[in-house]
Amino acid sequence: MTVTAPSPAPSAASPSVPSWPLIQQILRRSMTSLRRIPAAIIPVIVMPIFFTVAFSGTFRGLTELPGYPTDNIYNWMVPYACLQTASFAALASAFTLGRDLEGGFYDRLLLAPAARWTVPAASVLWAMIRALLPLSITLVLGIIGGMTFPGGIAAVWWLAIGAFAVAALGSLWGLGVMYRLQRQSAGGLVQIGLFVVMFLSVGTVPLELQEGWLPHVARLNPLTYILDMARCGFVGTCAWSDIWPGLLAIAVSGVLLGWWAERGWRRLVP
Amino acid sequence: MSSSSAPPIAAHGLVREFGDVRAVDGVDLEVAEGEIFGFLGPNGAGKSTTVRMLTTLLRPTDGTASVAGFDVVREPARVRASIGVALQDAAIDPLMTGRELLHLQATLYGIGRRAGRDRSEVLLDRVGLTEAADRLVGGYSGGMRRRLDLALALMHEPAVLFLDEPTTGLDPMSRLNLWGEVRRLNTELGTTVFLTTQYLEEADELAHRVAIIDHGTIVREGTPATLKSEVGLPTLLIDVDPGDEERTHEALVGVGEPRPARAGRVAVGLYAGAAGAADAVRALDAAGISIHHMELNTPSLDDVFAEATGRRLEGAAEAAAEDAS
Repeated sequence: MTVTAPSPAPSAASPSVPSWPLIQQILRRSMTSLRRIPAAIIPVIVMPIFFTVAFSGTFRGLTELPGYPTDNIYNWMVPYACLQTASFAALASAFTLGRDLEGGFYDRLLLAPAARWTVPAASVLWAMIRALLPLSITLVLGIIGGMTFPGGIAAVWWLAIGAFAVAALGSLWGLGVMYRLQRQSAGGLVQIGLFVVMFLSVGTVPLELQEGWLPHVARLNPLTYILDMARCGFVGTCAWSDIWPGLLAIAVSGVLLGWWAERGWRRLVP
Repeated sequence: MSSSSAPPIAAHGLVREFGDVRAVDGVDLEVAEGEIFGFLGPNGAGKSTTVRMLTTLLRPTDGTASVAGFDVVREPARVRASIGVALQDAAIDPLMTGRELLHLQATLYGIGRRAGRDRSEVLLDRVGLTEAADRLVGGYSGGMRRRLDLALALMHEPAVLFLDEPTTGLDPMSRLNLWGEVRRLNTELGTTVFLTTQYLEEADELAHRVAIIDHGTIVREGTPATLKSEVGLPTLLIDVDPGDEERTHEALVGVGEPRPARAGRVAVGLYAGAAGAADAVRALDAAGISIHHMELNTPSLDDVFAEATGRRLEGAAEAAAEDAS
């Protein structure tokens, strides 16, 4: 049966919604959610304090080893703590994604008549923005603890590049896992992956002082080179030879993890 | 490519496979402009999968479909701009307020800030949520969440509205309110509505036309009145002692044809219409069969479903919910 009815009004939606306002709105929503779950803010503040205090305190004696690149433990550990907290930002972004996938909210985002790449792009961007707060806290703690800047302002610049890159790369890893498993509990797997990469690098001990199989794995770990870049201004002055391996590691990891996330994304959306 | 003569929703040979499972198996349907189309079937029949393909959330394995005149695979963004969707799980963020969600929805559909805010107020008023607009959605009742979901789906004044089981889990009053709103949308704005439901009464009340889907295939399609008239005979339901079902059927051989029913109950389609009930009582009395309860039902969509599939849909949703709990 065909029912006679007035012609429906044309849809008010634009067939091509601009991407940037959409990303902004998704980011605003993420910030609102963060504000409304106080428990989610606590790790953002506590983890940098924990990492900085625990790593610097536990490994203080390492600086006395011959060949250790610095005599100031904060100069060695704070960049590592910054990258750790950036990986936590990526983890939090993955958990948010899992919640949205499980609760169906992600479908609402995917139903928007916008370019769909904006939705995962907002997740990656959110991880980078979220990394800003712990990065700042960790730096301030380091300065309070006695951290110095032998490389000048470039030290902070390359540290920030490294931290934001870890947040973005960690987020791509998280997207790939979450798109495949589509539940919040998959965050555990994201966390394991991030931890393994973090700990099997030159986070605590320089490559030259590692023994057994560890230095071989660390050499293959892209985080080693990102960390070397992020630390360069804290253990001396940054030379191009410190920088380019880090940038290359970011680029290669970005391509590989981007491919990983994209393949997962293709399972989720047509 | 959009065509003014194209039906708002059309699907031909639509198939979706998940591994070895064929969730939707060659669905053909066409929905006319201004129609409320009921898509009826039990849990797992393929209703939601069909909706997800029509709304571009899932790619069909085979077949074609167009919505608002746009191909769902080749022009998905245009399809999405033309449709409003309220999915089964009321996909709303419990950490946001109703008003915030409406503003977000406006941005998602490219509606400017001022227009989005104005439209939000209109929609909040329309679904009766103005007073609750600044409360977190996590504190809303099921009915409020569904009404908000409907308001969100209407933000951009879509020409085609998909409602995937919009009243599942709602109390009777909330269900009636939502039905009223859907009717109003359809009659006042001429919005074409694709409504999936497992509630026969809902399809009967709201839909101009109904398709019944089972195991991924449409088994009946037509207006509720036509479908019910096709079933024809009224059904006599008789509750007997457990184990007496077979004897009861034998006693009623000349009175009516057997229909599917649960244990302890016998259902027969009466050859002589409602007048055949007296013959049935006499036949059972003569056979010495105790009758605990008896009722005469004129054909319903459940009878249509039973006739098409050999199973009953009535009560299946509640039974599934009980099993789940």
